[in-house]
Amino acid sequence: MTTNRWIVTLLTAALGAAAWLLPASAAAAPTEIVVWHAYRGAERTAFEKVIEGFNRAQAGKIAVSTLAVPYDAMADKITAAVPRGKGPDVFIYAQDRMGGWVEAGNTIESLDFFLDEATTKRFLPTTLEAMTYRGTVWGLPLNYKVLALIHNKKLVPTPPKTTGELVALAKKLTDLETGRFGLAYWYSDFYYHAPLMNAFGGGVFGPDGRPVLDSAANVKSIELVMRWLETDRILPAEPSTALITALFNGGRAGMVFSGPWFLGEIDPGIDYGLATLPTVDEAGGKPMRPWMTVEGVYIAAPSKHKEAAYELLTYLTDTPAAKVLALEGRQTPANRAVYDDPKVAADPELSLFRKQVEVAIPMPNVPEMTMVWSPATTAMNVITHGRATPKEAMTTAQKEVVERIAKLRER
Amino acid sequence: MRLAPTPRRLALGLALGLVVALGAAAWGAARASLRAERGLAAEDAEALARELAGALEASGLEPEAAARELARFAEAHPGVTAARVLDLPGRALVASTAPGDTGEKAAPRRLGFDEKPLYDLGQELRAAVESNRAGGGVPRPEIEIRTGETAIGVAAPVAAADGEVVGAVFLDLARGAGPGEAPAGGAPSPWLAGLLTLAAALGLFLAAGLGVPALRRRPGLLAGLAVLLFLAAVAVFGAWAAAGIAEELLARRFVRLAAWGAVLGLALLLFVGLGVGARTGRALARHRRAYLYVVPALLTMLILVFFPFFYGVVLSFTNANIYNTDQPVTELWVGLDNYAEILGDTDLVRETPAGRVIDYSSFYWTTGFTVVWTVTNVAIGVSVGLLLALILHRKGFALKPVYRVILILPWAMPNYITALIWRGMFHSQFGTINQLIQIFGGEPVSWFDTPFTAFITVLSTNGWLSFPFMMVISLGALQSIPADLYEAARVDGASGFQQFRSITLPSLKPALVPAVIISVIWTFNMFNIIYLVSGGFPGGSTEILVTQAYKIAFEQYRYGYAAAYSMVIFLILFAYGAWQNRVTRATEGI
Amino acid sequence: MTKKTLRRTIGRALGRLPLHLLVLFFVVITLYPILWVVTIALSGQQSLAYVDLPPDPTLLDRLRAITPWPRTISFENFRSVWTDQPFGRWVLNSAIVAGATTVVGVFLASTAGYAFSRFRFPGRRAGLMSFLVAQMFPGVLMLVPLYIILVQWLGLGSTWIGLILIYATIAIPFCVWMLKGYFDTIPKELEESALIDGASAAQVFLRIVLPLAKPAVAVTALFSFLTGWNEFILAATFMDEELLYTAPVGLRFFVAGYSQQWGYFAAGSILVSIPVVALFYVLQKYLISGLTAGAVKG
Repeated sequence: MTTNRWIVTLLTAALGAAAWLLPASAAAAPTEIVVWHAYRGAERTAFEKVIEGFNRAQAGKIAVSTLAVPYDAMADKITAAVPRGKGPDVFIYAQDRMGGWVEAGNTIESLDFFLDEATTKRFLPTTLEAMTYRGTVWGLPLNYKVLALIHNKKLVPTPPKTTGELVALAKKLTDLETGRFGLAYWYSDFYYHAPLMNAFGGGVFGPDGRPVLDSAANVKSIELVMRWLETDRILPAEPSTALITALFNGGRAGMVFSGPWFLGEIDPGIDYGLATLPTVDEAGGKPMRPWMTVEGVYIAAPSKHKEAAYELLTYLTDTPAAKVLALEGRQTPANRAVYDDPKVAADPELSLFRKQVEVAIPMPNVPEMTMVWSPATTAMNVITHGRATPKEAMTTAQKEVVERIAKLRER
Repeated sequence: MRLAPTPRRLALGLALGLVVALGAAAWGAARASLRAERGLAAEDAEALARELAGALEASGLEPEAAARELARFAEAHPGVTAARVLDLPGRALVASTAPGDTGEKAAPRRLGFDEKPLYDLGQELRAAVESNRAGGGVPRPEIEIRTGETAIGVAAPVAAADGEVVGAVFLDLARGAGPGEAPAGGAPSPWLAGLLTLAAALGLFLAAGLGVPALRRRPGLLAGLAVLLFLAAVAVFGAWAAAGIAEELLARRFVRLAAWGAVLGLALLLFVGLGVGARTGRALARHRRAYLYVVPALLTMLILVFFPFFYGVVLSFTNANIYNTDQPVTELWVGLDNYAEILGDTDLVRETPAGRVIDYSSFYWTTGFTVVWTVTNVAIGVSVGLLLALILHRKGFALKPVYRVILILPWAMPNYITALIWRGMFHSQFGTINQLIQIFGGEPVSWFDTPFTAFITVLSTNGWLSFPFMMVISLGALQSIPADLYEAARVDGASGFQQFRSITLPSLKPALVPAVIISVIWTFNMFNIIYLVSGGFPGGSTEILVTQAYKIAFEQYRYGYAAAYSMVIFLILFAYGAWQNRVTRATEGI
Repeated sequence: MTKKTLRRTIGRALGRLPLHLLVLFFVVITLYPILWVVTIALSGQQSLAYVDLPPDPTLLDRLRAITPWPRTISFENFRSVWTDQPFGRWVLNSAIVAGATTVVGVFLASTAGYAFSRFRFPGRRAGLMSFLVAQMFPGVLMLVPLYIILVQWLGLGSTWIGLILIYATIAIPFCVWMLKGYFDTIPKELEESALIDGASAAQVFLRIVLPLAKPAVAVTALFSFLTGWNEFILAATFMDEELLYTAPVGLRFFVAGYSQQWGYFAAGSILVSIPVVALFYVLQKYLISGLTAGAVKG
């Protein structure tokens, strides 16, 4: 090419480069936020769709990227990474470890400063309560999970409304020899026993925060389960989630107490139905009150983009996002208004869990709670294997928990 | 070990040792005096904050009333550089004497995002007051004091008439402000004093060493003199510095730190002075190649294993738990209390309404169980592995490759699922093992009901998982035995069993013994299988030491105690390793 | 084959029969749980298998109940595991990490083992013991300190090197001991004659000693590989990108928390075991070589 042509080409190239570079430097780069979650399958697809929507709405200002972490590793990963500043800006987790993280420090950020009336009113009150520790809100509730009654429609066409009906129905269906049971649930696990315990008015911590594992109400609730196991004989021995799923999928369990996670494990060949947990005749007709596990979205304390992160939190808990998470992710959002949506209201599963959550109690989120599981489950196991009475085992468990809490308070 | 002290080495050692010891002590003294200063000011800061909070409680949190109180307070206490009052429910700054809060940012106004930390702190104080009032929980401080280089910040809650906390005050004080401060300066810097002491000791030593001929000829006496001078210097300096610290708690901490520094310094003195240092240097040079071969492997271990190990050691002497993670380690020191608690857990039997019952959470039960678990597992693994290796080693045995590949599958497959399959096999109603028993006409067993049967479940699972490893090692080790040995023995008329005993076993020792030791160590700490298969049931009787330590750390949040527990595990294994080595002289080899 | 050799072969086989039966017994015990894993994977369902008896079971019913065979065969679980997530990528990551662990581990361990075996230097015994001692501290509680060291201080979070370092550290102690023990059985005369013939120390190590220690190298290689291949919690904590996950991490997604899909997990487990079996198959021939194979007089 001639010299002139060279010059023109170079100039055009330079102009083009400048034109390309300048706007990029004039506009600020979007704030980047990282979110860690433990979703998979349909939940994950729905969640990522919501995030995409947020990124589009905030194009150029905030860009969110997500990382899926196996659930078993999530708590350890958060505990190791976040306080050292190497974690995400936002993460999603249940509320059971929340108290521990607050006490450990530098893990989650308190949200009272950001919260206003309108946002607070968005949620089902008990879900917000679950995210509150010592009077401060530490995360926004995203969805809740509660136990409900799941029945095989072929074996149990109409679900029972009271425990009396339940036992009568189950007795007819149970044949111990061949391993068929009217009722099958993980009754020796403390979490699965909680609905019954709460129906009698029992619980783990009293109003002053002290453990009350050996209260009369707790003992009565366990005695009821033992009656079901030993006298009425409607429950399988040595239950576990794997056994319950296998029994139900094999058509050998009529009714199961389990939560939304169970629905994903049911064989397509089983025609199942959902119902609220029955009321307990022995407790004066009071309903079974399951523990609510609330999955919350938290802001990591060392995050450098807390305001942007809070934007994301408000978006995730708002009604349009909740609708996607409900209908496509099969979650039950903590957002109140989403249940007025006709599609959501018409969904039998979502509306059933919504009904059940009316009587649910938020699971305690205090750090001392982790100290309760072990002795309580040991007690349940000892009782269900018939090696101690409910009163004895719970007294032992109570002593153990009190001892452990005392050791923490020394000095 | 031959010692070779020379005057030069001793002088060098004395100098280095004193640098370390006096340096540590001087640093400790400087820090102590700083803390003392801050401590004094901190007490006063707390008093001031309470005073203002009280005044605000009386006057109420209306902006004008609060501003008036602040103005009055600022006049009375000129050392307070800034005072702010927050309204917590309203998320607002009610009044402020901070220099930046004027004009647009004048109070009363809503809080900005950068003031969120103040707001959060206020809420934390509110929560502390409420939980302290309710009782039954960990007592928490209701005043927060933060000391910095030039200023002290203090926060206190402000309650309304009904006792509910509705606000917070934040004061910034210039360092050294407040009515009762101690006069700063005056005493000489500890660093200078330390340097003088060092020079004096070293000077004395050199004078003695050079000037006194008798000492020059007797290196032993010289060494003694060095040590004496060292101790004297440290003692004199330590006493002088400690006397200058008024606060007793701080003085005690200083003495502890100075003692550690002295020990380190003395070690350094002896190391260099007695010629060990020189000898080490020579040895390093002579065995260069060996160290070159060995050091890379050792280095990774040093970084990744021994640092966490020392962290664990230090932690085990404290009672660190989730509530006191923000306090420095020195505050939480409890010495051997954790160990005493672990080893003192001798109550093996408990009285319950049902009668006397073994307390399965007792340390001694758990240890006993862990030992039984380890011994039986390794025994099964070694015998089965060795047996199969011997069979598969024979010449001309058909289908060897096929068998070998099949027999290695338990090791190859992820043990999460196979362990749970084993657990399922032992289910009392739906497990295949009880079905098998019933086919043979027996009664089904409730495996997880008693400790012994539960033990069988975990033993079977782990035996199944661990024999392939032993088999592969034995197969490899069997290759090292020359075939001529067997030929010669056969010619001599030795039977198969005699050949096994006198040729095979001794030749396998070098490979098997390390495998056994390592297998013992791993089985002792085998967390996964116990956790997955028996979960410690029934009633915690099948817990092993490491699962207990895990629960203490992650369920009870007692990190110091868990670290001590791990240390005990370590010491047990270390004793075993030392004993095993002595017995088999495995480190010697052939 | 002549009649005599045929008779001899059959005779030998019959003589070996009891041994074969013994081995078969162990084979059955070994395979039984594995067959259940295969059954669950091929069943197309998600529940762990349990014994299913009809009312009033006969012996045949019982036998059928404990036989691990799926009622319907479906490859749906396998297809879903492979295509619905980047499983192939995860397996590749595991291969990289485990492979590098093997190379690094075996190399460092063989040089160290050689030094411990052949040289006498101060600190030799202490060094050997310290490898053992390093294993004695329960690792399950070391997650946070390790994280601080590797990610905070060394900045090796989300990198292959970080994981490889840890896995190598876990694997090396056993490898050092195994190799040292094996080197101890190799007569020194071999090396001495080679040195006299003019070979350098490095050549002696690489060309003479290492090949003779092939069985031990094979064992330590397999062991190092498996250390890196099956490890879950460290990989999950240190890797912050989904495409960097290793296979055990990816597998755990299926049995997360309350929702457990054993069909996928079983299929994934089988897929993950295949490379290990292949590796073992390849290493087998080194496992059975050694002094017995070479001509050694002395």
